[in-house]
Amino acid sequence: MINGFQSWLDERFGLSGITGFLTKKTVPLHRHTIWYYTGSAILLFFAIQVVTGFMLVLYYKPTLEMANESVARIMTDIPLGWIIRSVHSWSASFMIAFVFVHLLSIWITKSYRRPRELTWMSGVFLLLISLFFGFTGYLLPWDDLSFSATKVGTDIPRAIPVVGAWVTKLLRGGEDVTGDTLTRFFGIHVCMLPVFLIVLLAVHIYLVQKQGMSLPLEEEGRQEKVEEIPFWPNFVFREMIVWLLLVGILFTVAVFFPPSLEKAADVMAPAPEGIKPEWYFLFLFQTLKIFPAHVLFVSGETLAVLLIIFAAILFFFLPLLDNKPTRTKGKVITVLAYVLVLYALIMSVWSLL
Amino acid sequence: MIRTKPCFLLVVFCFLFLILWLGTSICPAEQPVDQVQTVTPEEKEEPEKIIGAPQDIKQRTGILVFVIWMWISVFVLIYFLRLKIKEADRLYRFRFYSVKKN
Repeated sequence: MINGFQSWLDERFGLSGITGFLTKKTVPLHRHTIWYYTGSAILLFFAIQVVTGFMLVLYYKPTLEMANESVARIMTDIPLGWIIRSVHSWSASFMIAFVFVHLLSIWITKSYRRPRELTWMSGVFLLLISLFFGFTGYLLPWDDLSFSATKVGTDIPRAIPVVGAWVTKLLRGGEDVTGDTLTRFFGIHVCMLPVFLIVLLAVHIYLVQKQGMSLPLEEEGRQEKVEEIPFWPNFVFREMIVWLLLVGILFTVAVFFPPSLEKAADVMAPAPEGIKPEWYFLFLFQTLKIFPAHVLFVSGETLAVLLIIFAAILFFFLPLLDNKPTRTKGKVITVLAYVLVLYALIMSVWSLL
Repeated sequence: MIRTKPCFLLVVFCFLFLILWLGTSICPAEQPVDQVQTVTPEEKEEPEKIIGAPQDIKQRTGILVFVIWMWISVFVLIYFLRLKIKEADRLYRFRFYSVKKN
């Protein structure tokens, strides 16, 4: 019966063509193969985000009066609401963590080499979208902490010369963080960003399929041929093991460490002590904090923001800068990846102290 | 492999059933409330912080049982997947897929 249904679907959708393509597609087996699993892990967490997001949006009310109350209702009154919210929140963190790991593994193994520059660039855009997902989602509970953190976060672009004030106003939907900001962030979080992410993801996956799995530089230099396995079913079965473990870890963490909810934000109240952004913004937050008020004639904050933007541009064009990966320049760029990780870790820990 | 297929489906079914059962038992459905609210706005106290997880010991035990069951299911499924991987790798070594393609 299953075979009959399968052939019925195949006749209409041409599924055998897809499975044929996936069987022909191969995955190299070497000591860096583990990094190939990070891409599908991101997709897994994104799928979990979509499903739990659909469930949350049924009860969430994006207005100044109802936002905090509706999240409180989700957590206390709605059956299994607390775990859905917890899974949504934790899978966002897991997804961003895996995006970081994915990009860093590509950087270190130099998999962005020609002709995969656009795959890297689309990946950097996907990282930015993921971070913006986190930033917009953080405000939605509309509690003291999220309100103050958003106030600080949306104030940062103001330091950019010429367009800064306009960007802040655009983000907030006015001069201050108000109900308009909440509605705006909700719209961006559930409508705009998913569309951008899905389109970019489609481009990214197409490029990965078109170019095939990249071999790390050190594996390419070897004399003997690298062993390969078919993507379907051999590699997909291996990926399923990773997915199962990740889903297990996600649910365990979500059950034992659910996010709490503070009381509703008071727009007129002073900012509470110890405002912290989400963990993935901590190193940027600390970078901004350590800059002095003025460096020569420039404001310290402006200089810090400009430096961060410059670093982000370099990061985006990394495959073009690292055009001779085997030379000294290439090796220095690889060392920079480790330096960046170390810097981010130190800054994040420092900001928590 | 033919014998492992029903076992695999049985484990998946049990897993899904348990999720469904726990889903209805851990957090009971919303109870109907009286239409007329007797609490005035002055009496209504707003809690400082809401903790997501249920505080009731019975519900907490239920959650613990669910997590343990989930991990057992994960490891059982991984065991079956490892068998599938071994079989798929063996077929690939024997050029089964390439023969099929031609």
